[in-house]
Amino acid sequence: MSARGRAIAAVALRRFLRAAWQARFGLRRGHARRRVFARHLRLACEELGPTFIKLGQLASVRPDVFSPETVFELERLQDRVPEVPGAEIEAILAAELGAAPEKLFSAFELRPTATASIAQVHQATLAQDYRPVSGAVLPRGSRLAVKIIRPGIETFIAQDLALARRWAGRLARLPGMARLRPGSLLEEFRDTLASELDLRNEGRVADRFARDFADDPLVVVPRVIWRHTTRRVLTTEFVEGWRLNELGEAERSGIDARRLAAHGAEVFMRQVLVHGRYHADLHPANLFVTPDSRICYLDFGIVGRTTPAERIAIAQVLAATVYGDAERALRYSRELGLEVPEDKAPAVQARVADLMKAHLAGREQADVRGFALGFLSMLADFRIPIPEGYGLLVKALITVEGVARAIYPDIDIIQSARPFATRLIAAQLSRPERLHERAPAALKAALRELLA
Amino acid sequence: MQDLVRMLAAWAFVHESADEGWKASVARGRKLEPGELEEGPDAFVDGLAALVAEEKERLKQEIVNAGAEHEQGVTRPAELGRKLDAVAFELAELRGRLESLQASVDAIAARGED
Repeated sequence: MSARGRAIAAVALRRFLRAAWQARFGLRRGHARRRVFARHLRLACEELGPTFIKLGQLASVRPDVFSPETVFELERLQDRVPEVPGAEIEAILAAELGAAPEKLFSAFELRPTATASIAQVHQATLAQDYRPVSGAVLPRGSRLAVKIIRPGIETFIAQDLALARRWAGRLARLPGMARLRPGSLLEEFRDTLASELDLRNEGRVADRFARDFADDPLVVVPRVIWRHTTRRVLTTEFVEGWRLNELGEAERSGIDARRLAAHGAEVFMRQVLVHGRYHADLHPANLFVTPDSRICYLDFGIVGRTTPAERIAIAQVLAATVYGDAERALRYSRELGLEVPEDKAPAVQARVADLMKAHLAGREQADVRGFALGFLSMLADFRIPIPEGYGLLVKALITVEGVARAIYPDIDIIQSARPFATRLIAAQLSRPERLHERAPAALKAALRELLA
Repeated sequence: MQDLVRMLAAWAFVHESADEGWKASVARGRKLEPGELEEGPDAFVDGLAALVAEEKERLKQEIVNAGAEHEQGVTRPAELGRKLDAVAFELAELRGRLESLQASVDAIAARGED
C-alpha cells in the first residue's frame, strides 16, 4: 500500500472507531447514531484534503443515496487551505494566457482574496474595454476576479480517486454497502469533478444564467472575460457585496432584506420551473448580496437540469405542497419517478398529510427543512427509493429556505411561493396548445352534462 | 367594450352549451337591423348575445389556429425575435469560445518563443 493509501486508511479507521465509541457501539439508535457517524465522516473528509472535500461536497447534494443526517453534515465541509505563493500564480498565468499578469491586466493582486481546495481567487483590473457574451460592455479599469486552479491539483485528485476506487470495490462487498453502489457513484463524482476542473464549463453556465435572468434587475451574474479564460483560469467581473454568511444586522438594515429573500426564492423556482437549469450547489458562500439590494450568484460548478415534462410535474408537486394537498403531491411525484407501491400508498399519503400539517400549514412560520427531512426519513422508513433528480430538488428547496432566511430570518417560504405557484399553474393551463388540446374534451363534457 | 365582449365570449366558450334560449337569442340578434338595438332591453340582450356569439367563434378560431400553428411549427414575428435572440446568443457564446482558444494558442506560441 502506498504512503497516501496508508494515510487514508489511518484517518478512516481512526474516525470510524471514534464514531463507534461515541455511538456506544450501536447502542445509540437511529437519528443520534447516524448524526455521530455523519460528523466523523465530515471531519475525515476535511483531514484527507481536496479530493475528499470535493467528494463530500458532491455527496451533500445526493439525498437519494445518503441519509439526511450525512447530507446536511457534509454541507458544512470547510475547505480552507494555505494560499499558493505568488510566483507560482505568475507561472500559471504565463502558461495559461501566454503573458505575465502586468501585461494581461492593468493591475493584479498576488495576494488571493479567497482560497479553496481546488482554486483560489485574485483581484485584477481590466486593461481594455471588453464585450461579454451577454450584458453591457465592461469598460477599461473594471475590477475583475481571477479564479486559478491550484497547481498539481488534477494529478493529486487523479491519484486519490484511483485509491478511492480500490476502496470502493472493497466496500461494495460489505453487507449493506452494495445498496450505495460505491463504484458507480465514484465514477459519477469523477465525471463531475473533471467538469469542475475545467473552468470554461463554469464560465459557459454563468453566461447561460446571465441570459436566463437578463430581464431581472435584482439578479447579478458576473460577466465572463473569455479572452482571459482558459481551462485553468476563469476571469469574471468582480462584484462588490457580502456573502450571505457575512450578512449581519448592520448590512441587513441597509438593504430591502424581506423583498430580496422572497425574490431569491422566486428566482430559484424560475430556474427549476421555467429555464430548466438550476444552481444545485447553492449555499451561503456562493451568494452575494450587493449594497444596492441585488442577489449575485457565484460558482456554477454543480448544475441541475429539468425536462419540460418534469417541470410540469414539479410545478404541480410544489403547488400541492404549498396548498397542503398530500394526494396531489404524491400523484405528481410518481411522474418524477417516485414509486410508491399500491399497498403502501394510503399510509404514505397519511404520513405526508401529517407532515404538511405539522411543518407547513399548522405553524406561524412554515418549516420546509423540517418537512423535507421528515419526508425523506418517511421514504426511508417505507423503503421507497428516491430518484436522483427528486432528491436533488428536495435538497435544493431546503437550501433555498436556508438562503432566504440568511437574508431575512422571518421569511415564510411557503407564503412567498404561493403566488408564484398559482401563476405558474395558470400559465401552464392557459397555453394555446394546451387549451386547444383540452377544448374538444371540455365541449364534449359540457354537452354530456346538458343531454344527461 | 371590446374587452367586455371578449370576456363574455371567453365565458361563453368555456361554458359552451346547447341552451335553446341562448341559441334563440343569438338568432334573433343576428336578424336585427341597424338601429333596432335601441328598441328595448330585449332587443339589446339579443344584439349583445349575437355579438358575443360572433366573438366566441373568433376566439375559438384563434385557439384552433394557435394550436395548429404550434403543431406545424409556424413562426410569428414575436417568435422570430426570440429565435433571433437565441441565435445571437449562441454566436456570442461561440465568440467567447474562440477568444478562450485564442488565449490558449497565444500561450502555446509564447512558450515556443522562450
